[in-house]
Amino acid sequence: MKIRTLACVGVFCFLALSAGGCVSSKPQGYSGVTSYAGILYLGSMDGKIVAVNPSARSQELPFPSSNGEWSYPITTLSKSMLSCSSSPTPVSIYGTPVVVDGSVCVGTYSGKVLMINPSARSQNLSFPHMRGGEWIYPRTDDVIGAIVGSPVAESDTIYVCSSDGRVYALDATYGDEKWKSDTLGDKLWSTPVVTGETVYVSTFDGHVYALSAEDGSLLPWVFEAETGFVSSPVLYKDTLIVGSFDRKLYAIETDGGDLLWEFPAANWFWAAPVLDDGIAYAGCLDGRVYALNVESGEELWELDTGDFVEKKKDHIISSPILVDDSLVVATESGNVFVVNPKTGSPERVKNPDDSQSDDKPSVDAPIWSSLCALDSMVYVRAQDNYLYVVDVAEREMKLKFCLD
Amino acid sequence: MADLWNLIILNPTLNGMLALSSVLPKEAEFGLAIIILTVIVRLLLTPLVLRQLKSTKAMQEMQPKLQELQKKYAKNKQKLQQEMMKVYKEAGMNPIGCMWPMVVQFPVWIALYQSIMKALATTPENLLDLSRHLYSWEVVNATIPVNSHFLWLDLGQPDHTLVLAILVGGTMWLQQKMTTAPSADPRQQSTSKMMLLMMPFMFGMFTLMFPSGLPLFWLASNVIGIATQYFVTGGWGYLKSPSSPHLASRGRR
Repeated sequence: MKIRTLACVGVFCFLALSAGGCVSSKPQGYSGVTSYAGILYLGSMDGKIVAVNPSARSQELPFPSSNGEWSYPITTLSKSMLSCSSSPTPVSIYGTPVVVDGSVCVGTYSGKVLMINPSARSQNLSFPHMRGGEWIYPRTDDVIGAIVGSPVAESDTIYVCSSDGRVYALDATYGDEKWKSDTLGDKLWSTPVVTGETVYVSTFDGHVYALSAEDGSLLPWVFEAETGFVSSPVLYKDTLIVGSFDRKLYAIETDGGDLLWEFPAANWFWAAPVLDDGIAYAGCLDGRVYALNVESGEELWELDTGDFVEKKKDHIISSPILVDDSLVVATESGNVFVVNPKTGSPERVKNPDDSQSDDKPSVDAPIWSSLCALDSMVYVRAQDNYLYVVDVAEREMKLKFCLD
Repeated sequence: MADLWNLIILNPTLNGMLALSSVLPKEAEFGLAIIILTVIVRLLLTPLVLRQLKSTKAMQEMQPKLQELQKKYAKNKQKLQQEMMKVYKEAGMNPIGCMWPMVVQFPVWIALYQSIMKALATTPENLLDLSRHLYSWEVVNATIPVNSHFLWLDLGQPDHTLVLAILVGGTMWLQQKMTTAPSADPRQQSTSKMMLLMMPFMFGMFTLMFPSGLPLFWLASNVIGIATQYFVTGGWGYLKSPSSPHLASRGRR
């Protein structure tokens, strides 16, 4: 009888835990890709910062090749549910790394900022290799809140937003804290915009604040939306464009903080828009890309990527990118489109494995990460932990490389 | 199947909960929404709960008779089954029928549970997933992201102060103690005793692991359960009963 009872309790506990697990998954991360001197830098889904040389990959050399390639696993100490001791577990990386004087800066979901020297990583030296300019912030076992947005480098300072509601300004050379702002809201999941002496930041509770880049003090400039922001603001001349959970894209004047226009869509704006030549190209979770005149907010065209998938529903989580004369848009279903930025007419990137079905997405997994363009190629990290290479001119996915 | 579940049960519950949040005071919107929705669901399920309570009570009252039969026909299983069915029939009871109200309630509780976890959306992936379940109602989108602060709790994070764990475990023990009848069979008695301690302990442990929005829902549910039990069965039930079944049955008389 006791065994039966224990079995019942065990089954019940398993059901309770699995039901909890199925709705509250572990953070996976969706780090974007950046490039510097012909090398791609990105975070993998297993918590590594990876340097990839596209030329070595096209030659199918073993990874890491001696041509600037390396990978460095970032771990954090965490306690498991059933154990009292802490063990190192891989971190999650959401933001796109930024390259500062050849070193790679990245923020982690575990609340650390790291500056990584590619040369030290190629030699597998212990981290942080101070003489190589490597550092970690905070230096102690302490952490700041989870970092979801990307770090921004301006002059000799790294600016980063954290889920503890603060913006941190760090010395790019040594990683010392220059200042940290007051708590601006519940969470900051966005990437700050730094322009001259001002830092603009959008908050989870629906504000856009302006801070002094000098000391982090709050400037008398604020914009309040109906709901919160996860999308990062972008600046075009004197206009700040940012999308919100209230399904609107806002254009705000940086001079007085006045609302210039607002554009309603059918779902949240998650990705930051891309701006060029007076036009904002904004991807939305309703699966559409909107091209809007930055000055007037007038809609020039819209493209519904849902027309290309079976259920007629797709989401755009990653920011579009301009390559040569084309706009490249990636969707959650794994489709990549090369779009004419003037007319909005799309061409879907072909998956070379789609001999059996024309409906096969351009890449084999959902795309949530920001794209990177290098030499007319677009690099996409998908949620299967592969890096895909898309030839924009030929509208075809050329290569994929596993980051495990 | 998952789509059907989302369409019919999860999405209405989730959107209803968020719409309810929007009319509550901003500083405690989601915590209050969890409590109010738990009360509403409990009220809607009252007829089923009453039926279940009555069935359970009737089953418990039959226990001495059934135990006698078990002793009498210990070596003849077939006869035992026949005699037991006779007793059930005389009392107008279906032993499996009393399970139905519980089975019907189960999907509702699961939906409520999933809605809380989804709405709290602690990671970016969870938040993206939430966007797929929301209606286009302005009132729903206006509550995103939900304010996860309630009293001393961050509903999106586990409560490590032990206060919530003790409250959840304590109320669960109280509710179980009120409904668990003492048994004459020593083996069954030890099983009941173990369950009485094991379940509150396990839920207390879960409270330390899960985002505290969920234990808040368990706590609200337990408190309402205790109140229902108190008013429906007229008192504290078996809470004050002595452990001996003979005394217990005398006490009930």
